[in-house]
Amino acid sequence: MQLKELRDNIDNIDFQILKLLNERYENALKISKLKDKIEGQNREQEIFEKVKNNSFKLLDASFITDVYKKIITYSRELQSKDLKLIGFQGEHGAYSEEAAITYNREYVPIPFSEFKEIFDNVEKGILDYGIVPVENSIGGAVTEVNDLLLNTNLYIVGEMKIKINHCLLKNKETDYRDLRVVYSHPQALAQCRNFLIRNKLEARPYYNTAGAAKMLASEKPNGAAVIAGKLCAKLYNLEIIKENIEDNYNNITRFVIIAKQPSEKGNKCSIVFSTPHKAGTLFNILKIFAEAKINLTRIESISMIEDKLNYAFFLDFIGNPNDKIIGDTLNKVKKETSMYKFLGCYQESKIKF
Amino acid sequence: MNKDFLYSRSNNEHTKIKLKNDITIGEDFVIIAGPCSVESYEQVLTIAKSVKKSGAHILRGGAFKPRTSPYSFQGLGLEGLKILYEVSRLVKLPTVTEVLDPRDVSWVSEFVDILQVGARNMQNFSLLTEIGKTQKPVILKRGMYSTLQEWLNSAEYILKEGNPNVILCERGIRTFETYTRNTLDLSIVSAVKELTHLPIIVDPSHATGRPSLIGPMSLASVFSGADGIMVEVHHDPKNALSDKDQALLPEEFDNLVKQINKTVNFYYNLKNEG
Repeated sequence: MQLKELRDNIDNIDFQILKLLNERYENALKISKLKDKIEGQNREQEIFEKVKNNSFKLLDASFITDVYKKIITYSRELQSKDLKLIGFQGEHGAYSEEAAITYNREYVPIPFSEFKEIFDNVEKGILDYGIVPVENSIGGAVTEVNDLLLNTNLYIVGEMKIKINHCLLKNKETDYRDLRVVYSHPQALAQCRNFLIRNKLEARPYYNTAGAAKMLASEKPNGAAVIAGKLCAKLYNLEIIKENIEDNYNNITRFVIIAKQPSEKGNKCSIVFSTPHKAGTLFNILKIFAEAKINLTRIESISMIEDKLNYAFFLDFIGNPNDKIIGDTLNKVKKETSMYKFLGCYQESKIKF
Repeated sequence: MNKDFLYSRSNNEHTKIKLKNDITIGEDFVIIAGPCSVESYEQVLTIAKSVKKSGAHILRGGAFKPRTSPYSFQGLGLEGLKILYEVSRLVKLPTVTEVLDPRDVSWVSEFVDILQVGARNMQNFSLLTEIGKTQKPVILKRGMYSTLQEWLNSAEYILKEGNPNVILCERGIRTFETYTRNTLDLSIVSAVKELTHLPIIVDPSHATGRPSLIGPMSLASVFSGADGIMVEVHHDPKNALSDKDQALLPEEFDNLVKQINKTVNFYYNLKNEG
């Protein structure tokens, strides 16, 4: 029993080491976006000095210097590769990260706890892209993200529609018959309500799905499972009991990819505008689109932060602004609105399962 | 038999259970086939594809095995359920698997289309009650020492809790005969048809324990009025982890299905002539 416990401890520590190494490289990549050239010897010397003079009995200077030589060489290699960084909200394993990977496997997903940080870091150039959810087929618009789209100067350069696949995950050593409670984001718990009732499981809200998976793996609470994405099983070494446990199969989240520079290519556009408080102003705008026979794919209104009595309208439509009909239409729309912003042109996404 | 019980034929229409592949138990003659135990993904997939091609309607496979010896293979458990679920999705065959433990009922229901209560558990009343609380179709096997009355009372336990989807299964009873594994009591099939509205199928594999007798007993089942049969099929019986001596080979099963189909046609014509 003791041997097993110690081995479990080591497995746990190895997992932590990998996680921290990954985090270290994520930070190194962020740094490489800040400076033009990879900074030289001084900083590295500083690091070597620090680790050499560590006070841990078992980590002697020559050993740890070897380890860090490897770590730093690889860090430099990564920094010289010009990897594209894409920020997502949540912990590693979040649905947003799954969406980022599905959008482009080559991009490096970097986690952030707030949507605003993603927008800030794209603006500063630390991130090449951000991926943020704008709407969900069950939960509706993600207002915080829509507010940020309205109030920052970033462009939408892509979209991704993902079918959310909720999985029930447990630690490998837990017997499924002993499960009593399930941790997850309240929305995920609500979307799997019937499943939980059928199997007599108590829902316990947690701040997010991947965070719950992370907690389950590290704290191993008794009789507990989590609802999270498939990616979390791999990342946190959990067992998938069942996939697709949501009550409603049409659970689709639409993400947009944001960047500093607009994209020229694409077959779909997003704009946001507001209209003067007069009868028929919104109708007049929609009429312009109708007359030009442009297909609208989404219209959403949100109240504006600085002026709660006024609404901003988000409008998505099929077309490219370089096309003359679309260009002319947008010029007409601009004249009729009190606020107008072109959010970007991008390729329409099919739903990815 | 008690005429006021829920299983009783009087005042009740024949029970019909429609499955996701549009097969209706209690209307079509259903053929259930597959390995005794789920051993691996590849094993179940190979057998499932083969029996589907031959004309089976439902895939069987045990994830929990009630073995007479505690040292025999006990089944893959949850892993086995996941395999059945995945294969069912791929091959598009509904599945049936045995459930042993009341704590497993809800979980097994998540993965398969039909539950099975084995002969040894026919009077496990807490298990029957738990199954009664779901709406899952359930195959209730006859205990090897059970009278018809006891068997029907067990069915009543499930029906009483609100689950109407009970299918009975005759699988042979213990007699003084030792040549066959059990003695197939086909007369009980006709009796069940007279007394109850519940569908009943026959398991000639466990009843005879001898591959050469499975064919004739399957055909005889058609004439007894059974609603279907359940047979064990394995592509590599020598290396099967359980019941290796009573499994049909895929080609033997293929042949049997052809004979059954002819027999069923003949029997239905005969019945229609009155």
